[in-house]
Amino acid sequence: MIDLKNLEASIAAIYNEHYLDVYRFLVCFSGNQNDAEDLTQEVFIRVLKSLPNFKSGNNLKTWIFSIAKHVAVDHFRKKRFTSVFKDGFFTKLESNAKKPEEEFESTEIEQIIHEAISRLKPKYRAVVILRGINEMTVKETAEILQCTESKVKVDYHRALKDLKRKLNLDAKEVLVNAK
Amino acid sequence: MQSEKELFNLIKETYPQNPSHDFIASTEKILRQKARSMDKKSKAKKLTAISGGIILFALAFSWLFFFSGKEAVTKVASSFGAESLPAAVHENEPLVFIYHSHNIESYMPELDGNKVFSETKNVTLVGEEFSKALAEYNINAIHDETDISGILEERNLSFADAYTVSREVLQQTLNEHKNVKMVFDIHRDSSNRAKSTINIDGFDYAKILFEVSKTTDNYEANKAFALEIHQKLEEHYPGLSKGVIDKGVNPKNTYNQDLKDNSVVVNIGGVENTFEEAYRTADALAEIIKEMIEEY
Repeated sequence: MIDLKNLEASIAAIYNEHYLDVYRFLVCFSGNQNDAEDLTQEVFIRVLKSLPNFKSGNNLKTWIFSIAKHVAVDHFRKKRFTSVFKDGFFTKLESNAKKPEEEFESTEIEQIIHEAISRLKPKYRAVVILRGINEMTVKETAEILQCTESKVKVDYHRALKDLKRKLNLDAKEVLVNAK
Repeated sequence: MQSEKELFNLIKETYPQNPSHDFIASTEKILRQKARSMDKKSKAKKLTAISGGIILFALAFSWLFFFSGKEAVTKVASSFGAESLPAAVHENEPLVFIYHSHNIESYMPELDGNKVFSETKNVTLVGEEFSKALAEYNINAIHDETDISGILEERNLSFADAYTVSREVLQQTLNEHKNVKMVFDIHRDSSNRAKSTINIDGFDYAKILFEVSKTTDNYEANKAFALEIHQKLEEHYPGLSKGVIDKGVNPKNTYNQDLKDNSVVVNIGGVENTFEEAYRTADALAEIIKEMIEEY
């Protein structure tokens, strides 16, 4: 579907076919719609720029997602760096006393899910989202993360376990707080 | 605590699963703009690459003259001479060769999900229609249906190598059929419906555009050939042809038009046309070719 004679038509076709999957990956990874939209745009700009280097024998979808994963991890690093001061201490204080509008926007369980996912290490987060949300096969996930299939399986199970543990803890906390 | 499926459903519910409509549209716009400006930039880059190429060429040329110069040149000249001698025309020998370097180019209204490429329903069908229409005028044509993009994938080549692969097909055909007089590489372009459609006598036609590479020895002949088709189309179907454009300089591409004179790249319609509209144009083109062959 790539026609270098016509980059514009190619990128439009690729974008239309893949933007939704990429966005869904990024919204789960970044945790908010604004960031996810910005990042999705960034992904397809990078796709466009690297299009001339894409070998037609490779899998276009996993290639796009490997770019998406890079963009997501880059973003995570930048955000972590700039938010060490902002987030670290004060948000923890704040999170117990939620702002009213937040309460209105998200239910408690959604809040818990969000916290649990955003506390997963980026590599675990990527595996969980790719397998669970984007429904990629083990093989595709391995291609995207550039690791072996067995590593994908191991990481996926660890990540799920970790996630469930976090959810259990948090759910208990909620119960304790409610008493 | 929950099953995995429940867990993922919860995650999906937590985050908005669809981006805003504004975002979807504006991003596509941005990408299209960037793609256009990249095309321009890559042309500038290629210019420097080409100047490097010219130096190499000069070196090779001087080598040719210093060492085995004259012999080689006379060999080349004599082979050209032999080829340009018109062979006797047999009635059943094919005169026209039709092929598709970008064989998967297709038309959006014919496909599901806003796609513009297809492995099965693509511009090859338009070539087939052209070939059939010629057959109705008793003009024998070879229509090549090689899946160029499939071969690219097999060999792990990029789409940019399409003309290299289609060159093999063309070369082989020309070797086997010495009487081929015209070569059409049929594509579709990316213009929108407003620019790629014309209504003639109540029927919508996909507009046609001819492209000639400036970088071949056959340029003059190919250009004259394309212009003749264009002018005849103008007489019979005014407005159907968008004309003849020179291409192939930046980036350099012969579009394989160096292999045979009377070679031309033909774009039939844009991404928003239908097969029906493209077939009408293919039929019109066949009518013009018939007229030209009669005049030869």
